Amino acid sequence: MDNLTNLPNSDGFFGEYGGKFVPETLMHALKELDETYSKLKNNPKFIEEIDQDLVQFVGRPSPLYFAKRLTDHYSGPQIWLKREDLNHTGAHKINNTVGQILLAKAMGKKRIIAETGAGQHGVATATVAARLGLECHIYMGAKDVERQSLNVYRIKLLGAEVHAVDSGTATLKDALNEAMRDWVTNIEDTYYIIGSVTGPHPYPMIVRDFNAIVGRELRKQSIEQFSQHPDAIIACVGGGSNAMGIFYPFLEESNVELVGVEAAGSGLMSGKHAAPLNDGEPGILHGAKSYLMQDENGQVIDTHSVSAGLDYPGVGPEHSNLKDSGRANYIAVDDKEVLDSFHLVTRLEGIMPALETAHAFAALDHIAKNYTSNQHIVINVSGRGDKDINTVATMDGISLD
Amino acid sequence: MEYPLTRLDEKILSLKKASKKALVAYLVAGDPDLDSTLELMHGFVDAGVDILEVGVPFTDPIAEGPIIQAAHDRALRNNTSLTKIFGLVKKFRKNNVDTPVILMGYINTFLANIKALEESYVSGSDAVLIVDIPGESDLKNIGIKNTNLASISLIAPTTSKERISKICDNSSGFIYYVTLRGVTGSSNLNISEAESNINYIRSQTSLPVFAGFGIKTPDDASSLSKISDGVVIGSSLVEMINKHSRKKEFKKIYNYLNEISEAISL
Repeated sequence: MDNLTNLPNSDGFFGEYGGKFVPETLMHALKELDETYSKLKNNPKFIEEIDQDLVQFVGRPSPLYFAKRLTDHYSGPQIWLKREDLNHTGAHKINNTVGQILLAKAMGKKRIIAETGAGQHGVATATVAARLGLECHIYMGAKDVERQSLNVYRIKLLGAEVHAVDSGTATLKDALNEAMRDWVTNIEDTYYIIGSVTGPHPYPMIVRDFNAIVGRELRKQSIEQFSQHPDAIIACVGGGSNAMGIFYPFLEESNVELVGVEAAGSGLMSGKHAAPLNDGEPGILHGAKSYLMQDENGQVIDTHSVSAGLDYPGVGPEHSNLKDSGRANYIAVDDKEVLDSFHLVTRLEGIMPALETAHAFAALDHIAKNYTSNQHIVINVSGRGDKDINTVATMDGISLD
Repeated sequence: MEYPLTRLDEKILSLKKASKKALVAYLVAGDPDLDSTLELMHGFVDAGVDILEVGVPFTDPIAEGPIIQAAHDRALRNNTSLTKIFGLVKKFRKNNVDTPVILMGYINTFLANIKALEESYVSGSDAVLIVDIPGESDLKNIGIKNTNLASISLIAPTTSKERISKICDNSSGFIYYVTLRGVTGSSNLNISEAESNINYIRSQTSLPVFAGFGIKTPDDASSLSKISDGVVIGSSLVEMINKHSRKKEFKKIYNYLNEISEAISL
């Protein structure tokens, strides 16, 4: 197998995926960002500043926790949880925004924009913008504004403006379209903090690198706590930033199974899902070549998932390459499995996962049986579920009014 | 080895001989329907348009402002595919053999129809303008092998000098200079910046340089035509098409194009 850790190449490709497929106006800004990041990423002062923020502001390292009752439930491998839900603002998304806001600062940008689906990246961006006193605009699909109203209010409390996007399917992909249009228009003073390992080069690399702290901590913690690397790591995949962050430091450890879990929505066979790696074809959307949900004419198909954060027709280019190379496996679980899993984990462990994260837990029904009691599976608990209680209540047929 | 002149080359040569500025008009295929698009294409030419830019609708057109986005949505609701657009161009060629037709759109729809695209030159398409590929990339490297199709590239106010020369080296037909930072149909036109950038581009290439994005009035067109070799009109036409398509009162659109055509020939 080729060395997967040295990707992307200088043009931004992971194998045949990735690249920079954007309107010409953005090309210069991407080059500027690439140069700034290349210069700063090995600069000791920059690294120290990020490390300090990660410890004192985010609360890192996040614990690696043994889920005893969940382990008993499956009566197979030991199940361990990497607790990204305990980060400040409640998800892994802050790892990336803490880093990118320092890039924005270094580039002298005064205005911050971002897209968000579940609202976690919106909150994480508004948080770091507030801390530096920068103007901040968050684009969010109108449908997501409705189903993630708690996060919308949090973003507003943090002083950012929320722009509800009505065009197209009014979800995450349309929020990304609109954020890109804003960026094209305000290119001189604006920094675009992309929230996942998607978009044009260098974003998939930058967002992965800032999230890779999760996998690096896990390498250390797993040795300390159970004297070996995990046998398998499971993470949910929408764009795929939490998965890429925890997978990346293990890419060369071929005995560690990497499992990404996509949203099967109403079921893979129904066509109403958000699982491009399971049921899509390579295509180009939002600046990168990657697996994509599209029809035979290259038009992007509407997606469906109970989880706003996974309700996206594309996926990060690096995941596409990991799929083709066989280094990672990608499965999909449907909305019903996710809801069951949400309740199971909440009751057994006293941990309420985000609906995105509940996809990773639901994969245990498929994966746990392949492992024995002396083996270790780590679930990346990418975020907490407080934001989702309205959705869960609706699915359970309960009114909270 | 000498190549025969293409329809686009011929048109550009004849404009140059006549010292005439080019008028390029954009419309979205299938908005409101393909029959209307065909009628409008002929009407545009009669009203003084030199080159037609036919928009290929896409679900996620990130370079477009609200007016053209809405037109893409309308065209997609009619299931306007690239294959149907090739058929439209073929029909157009029955009555017009010398107006160049450029297909403007997004890479994903072109890649999904690669075989038909490679044959589209035969049925009368002359060039592609793909909004979301780097201007210096060779069409062959992104999977489009038919060299008969010219590749029109965009240069923006933010394009570096280093890349301008690379893009020019890799372009044919003409260079499309984007007059503003923004999506199509914006209104922050900056003539003096456009002038110095277009002058620089001209120093790097013998291809004509056309200006587009944000041109609305005959006055806009007139001032931009003075510093370039031609102008592209898009959003304002698309807006008028939408306004008048129910009753098919396209006369007002043709009058508007007539005014623009006159304004740039003064």
